[in-house]
Amino acid sequence: MADKKVSKKDIARLLEQWSRQFTVFAPSKESGVAAMAEWDGKDTGFLDWYRNTIIPPKASFLPQMEEMFHFQKGEEGYNIKTPPADERSRLLFGVRPCDARAMAIVDMTFKDAYEDPYYLSKRKNAVLVGLGCTNPCESCFCTSMGTNPTDQTNVDLMLIDIGDEFLIEEVTAKGKELIAKTKDLKEAAKNDEAKATQSKKTAYDRVTRKLDTEGIKDRLLASFDDKEYWEQTAAKCISCGICTLLCPTCYCFDINDEMVKQEGTRFRSWDSCGFPNYTKMPMENPRQEKWRRVRQKVCHKYEFYPMTFDVIACTGCGRCIRLCPVNWDITRVIESVPDKAEAKK
Amino acid sequence: MTVNDTRFFAQGNVYLPHIAVIEKIVEETPGVRTYHFNFKDEKLRKEFTFQSGQFGQYSVLGTGEATFCISSSPTRPDHLEFAVQKVGRVTNALSRLGVGAEIGFRGPYGNSFPLESLKGKNLVFVGGGIGLAPLRSLIWNVIDNRDKYKKIDIVYGARTPVDLCFKYDLESWGKDKTINMVTTVDRGDDSWKGKVGVVPKILEEIAPPARDTVAIVCGPPIMIRFTFPVLEKLGFKPEQMLTTLEKRMKCGIGKCGRCNIGNLYVCKDGPVFSYAQIKDFVSSEY
Amino acid sequence: MEQKLRQEAKTLLEQNKVDRIIGFEPGSLKFTATPLITGDKNDTERLIINPFIVNNLADFLTGIEGRVGIVAKGCDSRSIVSLIQDNKVARENVVILAVPCPGLIDLAKIERLVGKNRDELDDITRDGDKIIVTVDGKKKEFSLSQALFDHCLACELPTPQEYDILLGEPRPPAPELQTSGQNITKLKETLPTERWEFWKNEFSRCIRCYACRNACPACFCQRCFVEETEPQWVMPVPRWQDNLIFQIVRNIHVAGRCTDCGECERVCPVNIPLRSLTREMYNMVDELFSFKSGMDKEALPLMAHYEQEEAEDLFR
Repeated sequence: MADKKVSKKDIARLLEQWSRQFTVFAPSKESGVAAMAEWDGKDTGFLDWYRNTIIPPKASFLPQMEEMFHFQKGEEGYNIKTPPADERSRLLFGVRPCDARAMAIVDMTFKDAYEDPYYLSKRKNAVLVGLGCTNPCESCFCTSMGTNPTDQTNVDLMLIDIGDEFLIEEVTAKGKELIAKTKDLKEAAKNDEAKATQSKKTAYDRVTRKLDTEGIKDRLLASFDDKEYWEQTAAKCISCGICTLLCPTCYCFDINDEMVKQEGTRFRSWDSCGFPNYTKMPMENPRQEKWRRVRQKVCHKYEFYPMTFDVIACTGCGRCIRLCPVNWDITRVIESVPDKAEAKK
Repeated sequence: MTVNDTRFFAQGNVYLPHIAVIEKIVEETPGVRTYHFNFKDEKLRKEFTFQSGQFGQYSVLGTGEATFCISSSPTRPDHLEFAVQKVGRVTNALSRLGVGAEIGFRGPYGNSFPLESLKGKNLVFVGGGIGLAPLRSLIWNVIDNRDKYKKIDIVYGARTPVDLCFKYDLESWGKDKTINMVTTVDRGDDSWKGKVGVVPKILEEIAPPARDTVAIVCGPPIMIRFTFPVLEKLGFKPEQMLTTLEKRMKCGIGKCGRCNIGNLYVCKDGPVFSYAQIKDFVSSEY
Repeated sequence: MEQKLRQEAKTLLEQNKVDRIIGFEPGSLKFTATPLITGDKNDTERLIINPFIVNNLADFLTGIEGRVGIVAKGCDSRSIVSLIQDNKVARENVVILAVPCPGLIDLAKIERLVGKNRDELDDITRDGDKIIVTVDGKKKEFSLSQALFDHCLACELPTPQEYDILLGEPRPPAPELQTSGQNITKLKETLPTERWEFWKNEFSRCIRCYACRNACPACFCQRCFVEETEPQWVMPVPRWQDNLIFQIVRNIHVAGRCTDCGECERVCPVNIPLRSLTREMYNMVDELFSFKSGMDKEALPLMAHYEQEEAEDLFR
């Protein structure tokens, strides 16, 4: 039962209030591409154009490039120092349910076994304010991937569009605490709940792209050695990194050093299993051929990740389909994976 | 899945290397060197432990990091060793370092050879080229606890006599009467008096029986590819065949995504695997 | 044209004149075509020709074995000829199915003009030299200059000169160089310091996906310079400095091979105006060497040969 709401025209005031406690991130096109960026203090024009960002919100916790540590070579040898931990309290405003679920999926890796200090220090201090979709894209298929356009499961607050206002669903203790401290919110009216239910249903029905993932883990296992299938599937892929770099559940990174004179930095930056050199060793490369890399991507998301974490590493955000230069479509591929009877070994 | 072993984190951060100093360099072959090293920090030097099979991420700070197993045995902890083949950017940079130079070390990472399950068994070590490095750690470990293990066969080969690594070990093991040491080369030279033939073929000739035996295989992928079928023919079940895999690695802790074979990460769930664990995806390797 | 294409493609496969056909089929999104690469003659039924067949299929030639029947627009055919000049593709291994191209519709331009995303549009059609966009039941008209790709507006070869099968009536070139070059002209009118800030800003967005490089038929190197580690020319880290160097060197490497097909700019997911660099290089190559890539099959590749009688003193 949500009992608070906010008018769309008051969003700037709301974000301004929150800015006092948090660094607020909101959708923005200022950089030239739709991404979550530090809120400039006044713009709420995104409410008109925002469907989803190109750069996924994971960039807030796993930035495109990050300095891991600095080192200096002195007379006494090397000296290593980490930059100060980024423990800013971030508030991400406008996170879509697909991206929120994706962040929860990526969290599993960064928490598993060795804890990743860079990712987790940013993540633990972040508040996610979700924004339920009203206008899903034709490439969206979240409803087939364990979530839906207004799913509140992985955010602290979920805002549901009920016309000129957003109904505020308080999801976690963090979210409730934030709302308790927030002034000038309106009380929800008696029929707002019904409006929200209608809004949710409309958004749900607008997701027309569907994918049946029943048994996909086993089908992929059975087809692993079906070279002919994978070669055909990979034929039009051009091995760029768009689908993986901009995927909210992808997290692969590269580590590189740079040193100028006596000072240096170790960086980590986004990497992609689609790149030919991703697995290259000096004497051999197990994924030299394109079809092996395409197979890796599909299997990692729909077979290996479920084997380890019991969840498919895909939330149906559709970015890969929209942005792929050749319109390679994961939903079409998953549908076409042969099952045991058809797979050729 | 390994637990968060924070024992040897530098400054509480898993990605930070410790500084270590190179104490000795051994030229194994024209392209392969063994480095002996120790941590700069006294306390770490005393406290550091690892198990046979584990690896470290070694940095030449400013150039990069590379993965090498720890080739010394934990039963001889006065110093640590790793073996390097000069093949790329980081290994070339390493080869330019001399005694006294500083390197970075993160680790020990990965799982280890399952010593408990090897006790009371016959052991067949099958190695090729620099692949003897991880096996070496285990072999000395076993020798230092000899009475806990039964028969030991070591079948080791390289392309030519000059490419044989750890020649001093081969000599010691050859002199040990409790070990059947078989060395071979793909191609002999004028002075070579030993066996000639690729390792899988020599292994087939030696034909160690499979009962109560575990085979531990490490070498170039092509050698491994032909060794598994030989072992299968000799009656070894997939659980009786162990190997250590090698992959391009960056984080070494199962996060950066690249070293996987199927759903297993070589850095975190390996590098030691039984053939049973990887047989569904082994076609992607060989 | 489509019917003829399907028939010809099927025949080529049936008569075993080619191992594979590379063409276009309907994509999985509105107003999208996707490459079709197949050796199965039944798949040829799906081949299409429409205003959205944007990909430069020549990009696939260097990665594919055997004989190929390839659908080529004018710009694509120039890329094929350029690959033949560089000995990357053997002429006898390709059967070129030439599509006289009237220019393709730039969905990004349409989105900006209409103020809606492509999946919110009902229909986009071409009627002569008008592009008609139907939104919420209402029709809006746009001129070709407004709706076609800038590189299509600059097109010097709508109909392939080098081909095996011509699929339609040849179209003469009618380039609108001023309109198509607007972005470049604007940049050249700014001060170098402003221009530097502009590009610094643009390349701060680059995520090093390499789609520009991979979609480009002229980038056919097995091992790209960005992947070299000994020495490391460019860091794999997406800093604007490394990103900018990557693109500049890429442009230099493809000079004389780039046919201004515009794919690099189209595929960039973060909207970097790459064509402003590539077209400018293309213009420079023309000015300096009177050379237009891919026009003459017999010509030697511009940057990969020199004559004993060189114009430059430097080489004598």
